[in-house]
Amino acid sequence: MSMGKRVAAVIGVGHTDWVTDWNRVRAGERPDDSYGYAAAAFRNALADANINRDQIDGLIVGPTIAYERMAEILHMNVRWGDQADAVLSVVQACMAIECGLAKVVALVYGNDQRSVGTQYGGPQAMGGDLFLSYVYHAPWGMTSQGALYAMMFRRYAELYGVTERDLGHVAVAQREGASLNPNAIQRKRITVEDYLAAPYITEPLRLFDYCLINDGGVALIIAEAEIARRLSPKPVYIEAVGRYDLNTGATSLEPRLTEFYRPAQEAVAEQVFGETGLDPSDIDVFQVYDSFSVHVPLALEGYGYCKVGEVGKFLREEGIGLGGKLPTNTSGGHLSETYMQGWNHQIECVRQLRGECGERQIENCRRVHYSSDVAGKAVSVIYGV
Amino acid sequence: MLPQTASTPPRILGLYHEPMWRLLKETGHLHLQCCSSCGTWRYPPGPVCQSCLSPEYEWKPTSGGGELLSWIVFHRQYLPAYPAPYNVIAVRLDEGPTMISNLIGEVRQEGLIGRRVRLKVVAMEDGVALPRFELAD
Repeated sequence: MSMGKRVAAVIGVGHTDWVTDWNRVRAGERPDDSYGYAAAAFRNALADANINRDQIDGLIVGPTIAYERMAEILHMNVRWGDQADAVLSVVQACMAIECGLAKVVALVYGNDQRSVGTQYGGPQAMGGDLFLSYVYHAPWGMTSQGALYAMMFRRYAELYGVTERDLGHVAVAQREGASLNPNAIQRKRITVEDYLAAPYITEPLRLFDYCLINDGGVALIIAEAEIARRLSPKPVYIEAVGRYDLNTGATSLEPRLTEFYRPAQEAVAEQVFGETGLDPSDIDVFQVYDSFSVHVPLALEGYGYCKVGEVGKFLREEGIGLGGKLPTNTSGGHLSETYMQGWNHQIECVRQLRGECGERQIENCRRVHYSSDVAGKAVSVIYGV
Repeated sequence: MLPQTASTPPRILGLYHEPMWRLLKETGHLHLQCCSSCGTWRYPPGPVCQSCLSPEYEWKPTSGGGELLSWIVFHRQYLPAYPAPYNVIAVRLDEGPTMISNLIGEVRQEGLIGRRVRLKVVAMEDGVALPRFELAD
């Protein structure tokens, strides 16, 4: 779906206090549960949009909470509802609005993964019921999603001459953004030497290549474009969305090991850049789903921000920091800001376009590209003002 | 207290997976489904051929040969049977499918990716027969 016209816009964003809750959880408290975090984020998004709950007629909840219970807690009967991850929630809100099923849609997400000890590796690895590759190789000791990305990066690095030092530029650049973001959990700047000195978790990936695990919530309000213009002084439009899924050979990691998700990202690039008349040079800020740093170089190549095989040079010489050629994950992303499974990136897209990012603001920001490629399912959203 | 035997982490043992593990233990060779219609090999096991969708197949022994695609070393323990450090590798079998396994021997060496490997069935402490690989040359 490349719309080429402005169907919908974000008119409100909200989130919980990730830093305070991080400190409270580490002190042994349980500040809230997933529903409570989601509800708090929703209240903040309503206030940001300056609307009331009765103006909303659609509701999408994230995959960590049950749709009906969340709607019951928020006391919302709606004309249309659904459940999806961060990027697909945005896509589905646009689809519902385009089809006339809803006019103003709330997207809510909450996750108590740190305080309840959600496991992303080991025999009870989260997501194994949806992605067989997360659990299928356990007899050989292969669990944890980081290990899958480590396997992918090793081969990629070997084929294209990318080094572990090159990869280190991702964590360093994102930490620079986080250091200027009061909402970020990890704000102490690091150097490439700090990166290389940190221990391996699954070699070749190190500590700083892995996302945080923390509690919190995020909410967005997306409205039909005409309504958005009426309700909001600065709507952030969804200019284009696209998706392509690599499924063949997925359990054996074929899409990771042979083509590094590239065919999916190239197909999505055609959708979001082709019909809109935009190309990568029109993008001011790039936001990438970064459960692991490895996502970033793959997306830079897959979407044509640099040539295939040249991402090491791009990271070293052009740069993805705030002053680099393509500022990427300017809030710190999952590695340094907060692990809200792609939801925090949507907020950063909106805030960069509204010009609300303070010291980490990218000047004259007109278009932001968000890319997600979890398990070879590539999805992109282009936001613009 | 008696020493504990660490169990092999759980295998997926669905309808199509169980014969693969049983044949491996009984014969000492990795058998995979081979499509009776077009000859395509299948892994993980499943109901139809990914190439032609035919449901007809035979369990056939594989050659045991392959090429090493990638390798990693776990430095953190996630499973009782696998204290760190240990390696995991990806192998492209000569029959076509890719398989995740372990290399018997040292992985930290130059030029490992692309090397020929040979399947070796290993008996785990709890009796599970597990297909692993060693360098072939």
